[in-house]
Amino acid sequence: MRSPIRVVFEQRNETPKHLSILVPLLSVVAALVVGALFLLATGYSPIETYSNMLSDGFISSRGITDTLGLSTVLICTGISAAFAFQMNLYNIGGEGQLYLGMIGGAWAGLALGDQLPTFVMIPVVLLVGSLAGALWILLPAFVRSRLGTSEIVTTLLLTYIAASLVKHFVYSPGSFFVTKNSAFPQGRLVPDSASLTGIGDTSLYPTFFLVILITLGLFWVVKKTEYGYRIQVISDSPRAAHYAGINANRTTLSVMLISGALSGLGGAVLIVGPFGRLDPGIILLGYGYAGIVIAALARNNFSAIIVSGILFAGLRSGGDKLQISTDTPIHIGVMLQGAILLFALGGEAFRRYHIHAVRTERATQ
Amino acid sequence: MTNASHEVAKGPHHVSGAAPSALSAHAIVKRFPGVLANDSVDFDVLPGEVHTLLGENGAGKSTLAAMLCGLYQPDSGYISRNGERIALSSPRAGLQHGIAMVHQHFRLVERFTVAENVILGSRDLSYRLNSSELENRVAAVADSYGLPIEPGATVGELSVGQRQRVEIVKALYQGAEILLLDEPTAVLVPAEVEKLFENVHAMTQAGKSIVFISHKLGEVVEISDRVTVLRNGRVTGHVSGRGTTDTKELARLMVGRDIELTTQRASHATGHEILQIRDLSLTVSGVNVLSDISFNVHAGEMVGIAGVAGNGQRELADTIAGLMSPTSGSIAISGSMTTDRGPIHARELGLAYVPEDRLGMGLVPSMSILDNLLLTRDRRIVVDRSTVRPEATRLIEQFEIKANGPDHLARKLSGGNAQKVLLARELSGGRTATKLLVVCSPTRGLDVGAIETVRALLDDARSAGQAILLISEDLDEVMSLSDRILVLYRGSVVHETPGVSAQLSTVGAAMAGLKSEGKS
Repeated sequence: MRSPIRVVFEQRNETPKHLSILVPLLSVVAALVVGALFLLATGYSPIETYSNMLSDGFISSRGITDTLGLSTVLICTGISAAFAFQMNLYNIGGEGQLYLGMIGGAWAGLALGDQLPTFVMIPVVLLVGSLAGALWILLPAFVRSRLGTSEIVTTLLLTYIAASLVKHFVYSPGSFFVTKNSAFPQGRLVPDSASLTGIGDTSLYPTFFLVILITLGLFWVVKKTEYGYRIQVISDSPRAAHYAGINANRTTLSVMLISGALSGLGGAVLIVGPFGRLDPGIILLGYGYAGIVIAALARNNFSAIIVSGILFAGLRSGGDKLQISTDTPIHIGVMLQGAILLFALGGEAFRRYHIHAVRTERATQ
Repeated sequence: MTNASHEVAKGPHHVSGAAPSALSAHAIVKRFPGVLANDSVDFDVLPGEVHTLLGENGAGKSTLAAMLCGLYQPDSGYISRNGERIALSSPRAGLQHGIAMVHQHFRLVERFTVAENVILGSRDLSYRLNSSELENRVAAVADSYGLPIEPGATVGELSVGQRQRVEIVKALYQGAEILLLDEPTAVLVPAEVEKLFENVHAMTQAGKSIVFISHKLGEVVEISDRVTVLRNGRVTGHVSGRGTTDTKELARLMVGRDIELTTQRASHATGHEILQIRDLSLTVSGVNVLSDISFNVHAGEMVGIAGVAGNGQRELADTIAGLMSPTSGSIAISGSMTTDRGPIHARELGLAYVPEDRLGMGLVPSMSILDNLLLTRDRRIVVDRSTVRPEATRLIEQFEIKANGPDHLARKLSGGNAQKVLLARELSGGRTATKLLVVCSPTRGLDVGAIETVRALLDDARSAGQAILLISEDLDEVMSLSDRILVLYRGSVVHETPGVSAQLSTVGAAMAGLKSEGKS
């Protein structure tokens, strides 16, 4: 009699190095396979769709600059999520902080008008946007660090309020953010002094390089500074932090504020870059939520976020263009993004456990 | 406890040499990445027998036990039950064969009652739980082995020894014929150990088999019918016969060399007062954890605090270390008040603190040895690891820490080596030279070789003029190391005696709260 086979999970003492790369890679491949099945089932050719996406997202020169341009904001929200996640602080309200970054950035651009030169205006807009993002997480950060209130709930709920705030500023008559007496509800463009132009007339803006620098800077801060050291101690063992006299409350507060500021920066990047105005369309794009997926895929590693951010930007921008070039639904990109997250999280099991099949014998008593 | 009585009791089980083993392992091999944990190990246990697996941490005894109960599967070799070959694919399969493990770290739900914990995982429960009926059933099982437990009590309120009893009752309730006890005495005080051993006898008399896993020689000799010694995954010796075994011989089999555990307590002159505690009281959520404690520790003196776990030891250590603020009273280190001024201030005055909880409090598991050395030191804004690296390398060498170098992660160290890292950091001084060392259960869970090293390190620190406060539940340790012994009972110092003239019975009575006896 053949005995049944059972799958056994054995905890690994150590994760082999190659799995840390293989698992995220295979998650992407698995997501593409699932996407292919979905495309087949709905009557599209997966090969054609994927080759179009690949070309529009990563290969054509237009595709590359569009992808890098889009990755700017996605890397911002990615590092925002990762900076909090690494300390087990689940800021999932990056989306709302991003809206606030747009509101703050647009406000600074419009309020200061054309009075200041570009080299002053751009940093001011980016800074005000970041501060607005930080402001939006101030309450969740405060109650989390003082009372231990779950930041997951508070940051998420504030995202809905932030979305309403965006709509309010755009749709309410006489709003500071819109053109007076305009029938068309859309934000006013910020003055030229607060706008950058794309490099070589593309959609890639110089802010991309700034964001890359900030990302690498954060990587350095986490690895090399006392602040990063503290974050690691607190995230791993709060009791060790207490033992060493490290103030966990203060660090919690500051990490969350920085996380909020980074999402806010993402919003401000859109103001000085492609959007140039407070645009309610942002609410449908989900750039803030994408940051969560990007951080998860990169396992909160800042240098890896640059890669996963660009990968996601390519999927998104390639997917968006499908609608124009073919009639494939635009949401294929978003669907792949969700599938990648699912597989990346599921793939964790392979990193943590040695999974193998054993033959079992039923007890005979 | 006489040997004769055991032999009478054990007699019937040993007469027939042909009786099949209740459980046996045949040429078991188990490999983990980079480690051969078990190298063709043979082991067997007879009905009604206590067979001990003796070995240092990392010798492979827990791995073998894990395979005997179905937690791991052997790479080669097999396990048989009553002479029949069986495959244990999971602990549940092990239970179906009547094999249960009582883990060192209990797996109980603190908010549940004893009875609820015992029945947890049973598959024959009805949809509605009738708690009084369940409690009667659990009490019946416990009583039949003379295990006194209160089925209706909440587990969170029980002592460690009582919790262990709950685990044992749970195993028996589930129908275990063979119990694997993993380091069962590591968490117990002497009185509880005695109680446990009585329970073990009751179980073996009822025909149960006990696999006893330990590295404490004294108790191994006392409890075992047979001993199998493991070293580096191999069986290095078999010894049988209760009470007839020489502990030195066992130690040699276990460690591979001769061992000296008793430290020389030189009668040395002690210096000035380093730690001064005056009328210290601590109330935590309405409960008096410490009341009116006053004592001093001098330079070059080791003061031992004895007591059953949970009588305020941890809080006393945390308060001295500046981690808790006392409700009243004062603490001074080298004449400067540290009360309410936090851990960093205390350290600046020369405090070093080895907490009971090594990984998770004293050390950060996910960090390297190097980074862990920085934990209690002054770190600049940009952490300069390159200057600490040579010191880390030197300490690893000096303290004989088995590691691949300063980047070795703390969580990958064995218990003994983790403790050495902790001691290396605390003894070598950080913000200032160490003057006062507070150590809690410094050798708990360590193997004999490591215990020897750790005790020698403490002795050296004392000789170097450091004041040491040794807080330990291991009474033997407190008795053999301390110059002065204080007994803590319900947050008060109930007994004080010089180390050399301390009587085990007197100190033990004081620990149990028998004040009058302690003074007589």
